[in-house]
Amino acid sequence: MSEKNKMGFQRTLLATAMLCAFGGAYGGDDEVAMLTTPDSSISAGVGNWSSDRAQQGAYDGMRDNGAYGLVDINVSRRNEADGTWLNVVGRNLGLDPRDLSVDYTRQGDFGIGLDYSRIVRENPLDFNSGLQGKGDEAQRLVNITPGRGADLDLKIKRDMTGVRFFKNLMPGLDFNASFKNEEKNGERNWGARTATTSVPSFLTEPIDSTTRQLDARFDYAKDKLQLSAGYYGSWYTNHNDLVTLTAFSNAGVANTTYLSLPLDNHAHQIFVEGGYQFTPTTRGTFKASYGRAEQDDTLPTRRITGLSAAVAPYSLDGRIDTKRAQLGLTSRPIKDLSIVANLRYDDLDEKTPQAIITAGGVKVTPQDYRTIAGKLEGTYRLPYGYSVTAGVDHKDQKRSIPFGSLSDQGYDAQRAVPMRKSVEETTYRIEGRKSMSETINGTVAYSRSDRDGSSYNVIDNVAGLASANARNLVNPMHISDRVRDKWRMALDWAPVEKFSAQFSVDYANDDYSTKSGRPYGLIDGSAMIYAVDANYALTDEWSLTAWYSHDDTKARNRLGTTLNTAAASTKTADLRERGDSIGLGLRGEISSRLAIGADYQWSKTKSEYPQELGTGAVAATSPMSPLSDINNRLTRLSLFGKYKLDKVSELRFDYIFERWKTDDWTWQFSDGSPFVYGVNTDGTRVSFDDHQTSHFVGARYIYRFQ
Amino acid sequence: MNRLRLIAAAVGLCAGLLINTAPAVAADAKGGDTKPPAKDLVLKGDAKCTACHDEADSPEALAIGKTKHGTRADQRTPSCTNCHGESVKHEKEAGRGSGKGPAPDFAFGKKTKNSAEERNQQCLNCHQGGKRIHWQSGVHANRDVTCASCHKIHDGHDKVRSKDQQTEVCFNCHKEQRNQANRPSHHPVIEGKMTCSSCHDVHSDNPKMMVRGSTNDTCYTCHMEKRGPFLHSHQPVTEDCAICHNPHGTTAANLLKSRPPFLCQSCHDGSGHHGQSAGLPPSSRASNTGFSNMGTVARGCLNCHTNIHGSNSTENATAGTRFTR
Repeated sequence: MSEKNKMGFQRTLLATAMLCAFGGAYGGDDEVAMLTTPDSSISAGVGNWSSDRAQQGAYDGMRDNGAYGLVDINVSRRNEADGTWLNVVGRNLGLDPRDLSVDYTRQGDFGIGLDYSRIVRENPLDFNSGLQGKGDEAQRLVNITPGRGADLDLKIKRDMTGVRFFKNLMPGLDFNASFKNEEKNGERNWGARTATTSVPSFLTEPIDSTTRQLDARFDYAKDKLQLSAGYYGSWYTNHNDLVTLTAFSNAGVANTTYLSLPLDNHAHQIFVEGGYQFTPTTRGTFKASYGRAEQDDTLPTRRITGLSAAVAPYSLDGRIDTKRAQLGLTSRPIKDLSIVANLRYDDLDEKTPQAIITAGGVKVTPQDYRTIAGKLEGTYRLPYGYSVTAGVDHKDQKRSIPFGSLSDQGYDAQRAVPMRKSVEETTYRIEGRKSMSETINGTVAYSRSDRDGSSYNVIDNVAGLASANARNLVNPMHISDRVRDKWRMALDWAPVEKFSAQFSVDYANDDYSTKSGRPYGLIDGSAMIYAVDANYALTDEWSLTAWYSHDDTKARNRLGTTLNTAAASTKTADLRERGDSIGLGLRGEISSRLAIGADYQWSKTKSEYPQELGTGAVAATSPMSPLSDINNRLTRLSLFGKYKLDKVSELRFDYIFERWKTDDWTWQFSDGSPFVYGVNTDGTRVSFDDHQTSHFVGARYIYRFQ
Repeated sequence: MNRLRLIAAAVGLCAGLLINTAPAVAADAKGGDTKPPAKDLVLKGDAKCTACHDEADSPEALAIGKTKHGTRADQRTPSCTNCHGESVKHEKEAGRGSGKGPAPDFAFGKKTKNSAEERNQQCLNCHQGGKRIHWQSGVHANRDVTCASCHKIHDGHDKVRSKDQQTEVCFNCHKEQRNQANRPSHHPVIEGKMTCSSCHDVHSDNPKMMVRGSTNDTCYTCHMEKRGPFLHSHQPVTEDCAICHNPHGTTAANLLKSRPPFLCQSCHDGSGHHGQSAGLPPSSRASNTGFSNMGTVARGCLNCHTNIHGSNSTENATAGTRFTR
């Protein structure tokens, strides 16, 4: 044995001795402590996007190219002696939209939490306009030659601050309260047909409002009985109430247009709910609430001379009372049969006075809904993990039909759409399931919903013939007769420990049962989606995920003015939208220090808008152009690598390739040029980048501790 | 000198061995149980389980110590057996034979023999109160979704409670919403600014599992300006926001289910300018002869019908009732 080796052997022997004496015990405790102590981490770094990404960066705070700070913290500390926790979670602290929450809790006793959150939406469109006063109540629209105005960045910012409190008052009785205040500021692209032109002009909706929400509840839970009761209040304050737009005619004559804004409102609700376990297999529940919403702010146009009839009120005195109640029962009367039943009552009663607003007799039209809904469902469990569920839902809704102004014929001239006094819908469904299998679980389900209602209230009966008014020929989509069939098949397959896959197909078909005497509105439609997901654990260190899904939605809508559906004035739209999405993921550990991952996402949507006349000709004629399909494509490849520097710190590197393409014509003329507001006026141009490609590289240092 | 070091090391080794094995030797000397009583590792009374499922055997199970369940100072926190049952057979027969022994009384993995109802009841024994009062009558419970389908009980980081990762859990089943969330118009869910649970109370039995008693009441929590009541109300707005909007994501702007004029023509008739054909005006601005050609391009019908959610204008009859003011 060489001297060198002798020394090595001796040191090893010494170390072994010390390990035997102390190290083993400490090593085990350390490992357990590491496994059982809450984790904390702080990460900081910087990233850079190579190009603007107006569409994909609308919400994430990284719309423009350039560098961004990447800062996140997640601190979770527990005092083992008294069970107090301190949690601090900060996300995206280096960006404009960011979150921070701090919680201090003594578990089971009390807790207080503070929240701050900022959400920013940056409008992905580019506006070049002569508008002055963006975001203000007073706006002035100076006519410009398109493209010669100022570039306007429109965005909406929400700053929410909140406080939460919890206290256990006695065993089984807790008090929870939260208060949130949100300041919403910014501007949204808006529009108006001004007083002197039939062409819409550009303007912005100024947003400067405060919302507050207070939620307080007592929760009691003991043995068989659980009860909750509390109060929820919400207040909306709009610091703007009216937009005054000064625009100019072609001849340069100024005109003023007033646009109303939402006014201050508030709502209050008290509620109580509970559950009682009658037996180990039978449980009853109930809910009851009473709410009142009010809007009694001053109507801003009422104080402006010439904008109101003498009879118009100065405030709406709007009020909506909402009463809700529900009874529920779940039971397993025999070992293999379980039953769920509930009955729900929902009464939305608008008590706003039907004030006359204009000299012509236009009235406020309050809307009431009283709905009773019930559900009965049973599940019978068969051998080998099979079960069958059958159920029926029924909804019966009474709806008010407020009467507005009087027509020559004595009918309601104010309303534009026929209404029904009652709508009811019954749904029957059956479902077979296989669960609790180690390799295959699955579901097959079918349901049929049948919606019907009372006769439609005629709007006008021109010359004693209701069908002479086209408004009486429509089936509004939300109250129309409809038969909806839905199928669902889903399969979970895990043939081996390391591999699992899911397959699902959902299909729905709507038949709107249009009749010869009322042939217009939605005729039929369908929606289908299928998806395949797979997970494969190659080894303990490497895993793959993959998924694909396809959806296809169709709707056929018919529009006309006479009962002759083959007339040249009749139009039928065959709307269709298809989507395909692919996702691939890879996670792996190259060594104990280096882990990598990759995600690929690709999605495409295609929307079609063919519309033809009753004669079969293409609907849009000169100067209008028919609509081409719209395709949206998103490709995103994300790569990351994490390298452990030591036990507590690591470096993370990210690379993202992102491409978004569209041929959306929404803000274009038919020749593909950007949309411009006005005819020889306004001149506001709206454009967008239809092909956005950007690369992101980021690096961050992560420090972990306990 | 070298020999001296060697002797010292050997003595150290023996001393170490003696110190570490002393209790066992002492027990042997007394003729009693040779195995010292196992101590709890994480939870109160967990020694029964962690004697086998220790840091070497089941490190992932010990991570429950990172969670609220692992707060031993809170007298209400459970032990392993509170959730998994006493599992006497599992304990007695563990390690015997070559095959897998019997499972615990209550197991929560994919291969469990316990029904979803049984598994959920283990959680509800403590968590039935508060917002889970109505769990049993909700759709999730009645489609065999379990608490453990979404929650990671033995993990300090429960994805479904994380703002930026919750969707990964929900999208495991809700594939349609996974597609829609990536549509050009969407709520900031995939960006992590909102979560599915911002709108849905998955433990409740409210219609559509909304956090408030109705769809509209839920939408008003963030869009309170739409609540009104307005001087002129647009009927479907007062009934259900989802008549016109799909909150999960759409290709049309503003989460509209379909573009104007098609969406509007689903209720409004074909006479007058609202019966206009869908189409794009030509490039010449002079040819945009008015609102009869503006129902599709830009904001579509909303170019003029600006206040479609309701108007507070007392101006002339058509201004308010038709939501242009």
